[in-house]
Amino acid sequence: MTETPAPRVRTVGIDVQDNDEARPIVEAIERDNPEATIRRMPGMLKVQVPREMVVRRTTVEEILGREWDTNEFQLSIISLVGNIAEWDEDEILIKWEH
Amino acid sequence: MSIKALGDYDFPAKDRQEVYGDDQLVNVFWEGNMLFCAAACFRAPRAMRWADFKAKMIDPWASADPDYRPEAAVKWRKDDKPFAPKPEQTLAQLGIPHKGLVKFRTG
Amino acid sequence: MAKASMRERYQLLTRDLDWNPSYVTEQQLYPHTRFEGIKIHDWDAWEDPFRLTVDAYCKYQMEKDKRLYAVLDSFAQGQGHLQVTDARYLNAIRLFLQGVTPLEYQAHRHFAYLGRHLNGPGARFACLCQSIDELRHTQTETHAISMYNKYYGGFHSFPKMHDRVWYLSVPKSFFDDGLSAGPFEFMTAISFSFEYFLTNLLFVPFMSGASFNGDLSTMSFGFSAQSDESRHMTLGLSVVKFILEQDPDNVPIMQDWIDKWFWRGYRLLGLVACMMDYFLPKKVMSWKEAFELYLEQQMLEGLFPDLAYYGIEPPRHVEQAIAEKQYLSSQVFWILYQFSHAASFTTTIPPKAEMDWLAEQYPDTFDSIYRPLFEKAERMAAEGNRFFFPGLPMLCQTCQIPMGFTEVGDPTATSFRSSQYQGERYNFCSDGCKWIFDREPWKYIQAWLPVHQIYQGNCGGATIPEVLAWYGIDAGVDNGEYATSPDAAQWAQWHQPVVAGG
Repeated sequence: MTETPAPRVRTVGIDVQDNDEARPIVEAIERDNPEATIRRMPGMLKVQVPREMVVRRTTVEEILGREWDTNEFQLSIISLVGNIAEWDEDEILIKWEH
Repeated sequence: MSIKALGDYDFPAKDRQEVYGDDQLVNVFWEGNMLFCAAACFRAPRAMRWADFKAKMIDPWASADPDYRPEAAVKWRKDDKPFAPKPEQTLAQLGIPHKGLVKFRTG
Repeated sequence: MAKASMRERYQLLTRDLDWNPSYVTEQQLYPHTRFEGIKIHDWDAWEDPFRLTVDAYCKYQMEKDKRLYAVLDSFAQGQGHLQVTDARYLNAIRLFLQGVTPLEYQAHRHFAYLGRHLNGPGARFACLCQSIDELRHTQTETHAISMYNKYYGGFHSFPKMHDRVWYLSVPKSFFDDGLSAGPFEFMTAISFSFEYFLTNLLFVPFMSGASFNGDLSTMSFGFSAQSDESRHMTLGLSVVKFILEQDPDNVPIMQDWIDKWFWRGYRLLGLVACMMDYFLPKKVMSWKEAFELYLEQQMLEGLFPDLAYYGIEPPRHVEQAIAEKQYLSSQVFWILYQFSHAASFTTTIPPKAEMDWLAEQYPDTFDSIYRPLFEKAERMAAEGNRFFFPGLPMLCQTCQIPMGFTEVGDPTATSFRSSQYQGERYNFCSDGCKWIFDREPWKYIQAWLPVHQIYQGNCGGATIPEVLAWYGIDAGVDNGEYATSPDAAQWAQWHQPVVAGG
């Protein structure tokens, strides 16, 4: 199926594994990024957000029900579109710079 | 662009003609027949007569297409320039350069 | 005492372990980072967004390996190879093992070199992690695919074949071109162009292809490696921006490298295009779709407007790649189909249903150009005269692929370009490959072209059987036509329905 032409606004995004570890993170992204779209592909979820995407530790912890280290995100990520503008204990921010 | 390198950078061409002695490489392309994905590359003596090159190298290769008839090969070109090779002329006399390209059509 | 934050720990355990030498000059300590003409004024401006310290690195890598090897063991124990859609699928994985895995090893070595030779500690540390990652990839790919070597041909001796076999000179020469370039060009070529710009066009097809075709082993490797790849991608983007921000004089040098490595990488990816459209019984998406999504949308419409800020433009010759998306996979398939007698994989004409899919995906070209060719090949095979190209093909001096590519606007017109250098002629498949040669002819005249080497007598002999023996290819087992291969016969036997009753 051919993708429709890209919208004027540039999106950023991540591809993550479609498993128990990553799904709560995707849910957290959906909560903190209302314009996020999720596309299901074999074994992976493609998350896209216009302009910028934030992954918030506190939101993930709420959904996961345990403490979560932002470094754990590394276990789930497949690919990323955009720059990592910030990655610290509390959040991961992905956006295009210019 | 000038050479940007650590130290001297001057190495011989791996496929220069002298490596092949009295032989050269010749590429042959059958225009208009997509069965062959690419031109063929042959190694042949520079002194090889055209008639022998055609009969012993081009024809056996092209005959892998069951529809090939050797006498049907016409419109010979060296790159994009038409030429009319005579059977007795050698590859060198015909001015086919080392790694040069010869093309033909059939029908 | 308060625990240091992630940022602080990273600073303490990487940057702050660096020192300024008093016993030699900086130039003496780092002698390889000036000759390319790239100007770096402040290595401390390097920002690594993945602030991984060695302890965190080891912890997460170990976790990934534990999970992956558990899956690989389970796959082996459960005869997982029997679950793939068809033994024909394994030709995709042969291409991967022979073509890609050795490049991982070369990357491992070169990133270790960079981990010594770059002036900045942040950059060195990122390269050190990547070096270990690439060795991990070499190992995990080998392990993931080794199961197939027990039961199928074409998987053995892959490092030897990588060094000798004609189609593998395509990926090998690609990487050698990078290894023999300076450190900044290498990072632009591999970290940026290959691991960021083009990476999705390599990894997603193989790994999604594995997933769709029941190859749990390769798929698991893929997902496990991709989390490392996100770090590599980030390194690639970081390094390009870092170089561009350091000095405006770097911009034209970088543009040239981006132009060169786009085209070299794109030609290499022709093998992936063929794999996606022709080697997967169950298709993920067409090459055209993948190209539109990953290159045109994500890169040209997403990344390049970002780079425009620095004065970087989309790569030279990208328009040709866009035009070729309509037929690249078929052109490369047609090359591999007629040369698989000399390869460590098998090929076959796709079944009618797959040809119909190709016609849907490529309405402008498939039925008019390729289906008639494939149907002729099928008829010849049915008559016991399976078509293989007799003799040797004309190769492009730069990409080293048999010259089966065509003029933009006419996919029936084979492209020929040539250049003269120091009295010798060189041939190319495209404007892109000619342009690459013309910039640095002194480099490409040294290319080890498989066809020419065979003619020089350096490949075991003058006949195909002698060359195959030198390649290490087990004739009749590893090569040729899929339908009549031992693999196909075995597959049919293993998948025979169980006979009920006594």
